[in-house]
Amino acid sequence: MAEKNRLVVLPCNGMDKEAGAISRELALLLSEKGADVICPVLYQSKPKRYQKELESGKLLVIDGCKTGCASKLAREHGLKIAKKATIKELLKEENLKSGKSPVIGKEKLGLLPAWAERLEELEDIAAEEGGTCFTATVSFRRFAFDKFIFKVPEAGYFFNENDCWARVEGERARLGVSDYVQQSASDIIFFEPPEVGKELSMFDEAGSIESTKTALDIISPVSGTVTAVNGELVEAPELINSDPYVAGWAVEVELSDFESDRELLMDCAGYFDYLNEKVKKEYMKRYGGK
Amino acid sequence: MRFRSRGWLKVSEETFMGVPRGKIPWCPAIDYEKCDYCMECDEFCPHGAFERREGEEKRLVVAHPENCVVFCRVCARTCGPDALSFPDKTETLELIKRLREDEQDG
Repeated sequence: MAEKNRLVVLPCNGMDKEAGAISRELALLLSEKGADVICPVLYQSKPKRYQKELESGKLLVIDGCKTGCASKLAREHGLKIAKKATIKELLKEENLKSGKSPVIGKEKLGLLPAWAERLEELEDIAAEEGGTCFTATVSFRRFAFDKFIFKVPEAGYFFNENDCWARVEGERARLGVSDYVQQSASDIIFFEPPEVGKELSMFDEAGSIESTKTALDIISPVSGTVTAVNGELVEAPELINSDPYVAGWAVEVELSDFESDRELLMDCAGYFDYLNEKVKKEYMKRYGGK
Repeated sequence: MRFRSRGWLKVSEETFMGVPRGKIPWCPAIDYEKCDYCMECDEFCPHGAFERREGEEKRLVVAHPENCVVFCRVCARTCGPDALSFPDKTETLELIKRLREDEQDG
């Protein structure tokens, strides 16, 4: 059952090492106390299964080690992480190390009930990761032209004619570039984020990207203050190619005047038509005639 | 850094935000005092805003300002001697808003 502020636990669930096994065990202890548990494997292939829980609950991510697979998974899906713990660090506080074997040592098992309580009381991570979630599943409309297929979200996004989008939720928005940019630029190899705290007016640069072919600025469709940048994208700029509208978000902003910005933007249906025309025109220009 | 250009990014929209592109004075201006004709900007611009002029005093000109993407300023970053400048963004946006109103009024 989904209930406001209920704890939703995403453990790393590592199968082959002790730290992973502990994260799973902790998640199960928390579930006995009423938390929802997300199986990272199932979430990976069927994220919709957990949509209800994620929309209403507070997400606690438990990583086993520094690789941070669970955090990574959460960020890739644009989930807002409210609380976070890493087993190896918890062990370190007790002067313990995690073993290579997935069997949990007895003394460590004894620590888990206290840890579970501690995690329940854990303070929320400050607002740097945004006050909204951007977790809703996005569905797309597609059109094909020549050998290209272009995707545009069905709702919730606003576009400028520089092919940049803003996904708006309440007072916040995430910004990124459209599928068209991704396809025209081909392999994105670099994302330079703007500084957190930067004030953006409409059409200011909100970071830049480079591909094997070209470079371009992310031109902000909205005005506001940068509250977060997608750290995952700095590590893996190719996320823009694989998922330009969700995992490939670049910047999160607190909106300052969306009511008036909006008048100058296209909604999803408007951008769909605009892009359709643009692609056709460009094709004609490039190949001429029919 | 080199950018392959003249690709599929080549666009010259006839309108921008509903305003005829020709009415929006957005394109780079070359400061010929500073320009050393390295041609990095021309190498970069995928839209073909610049043109080289062999044998002329100004060996690089902004020959196709209408090809320049409104609000794009990336070429200026490729410019070592900082010879490229753009119109004020806020003023340009104000102008576009006014022109939009005119278009809507008929």
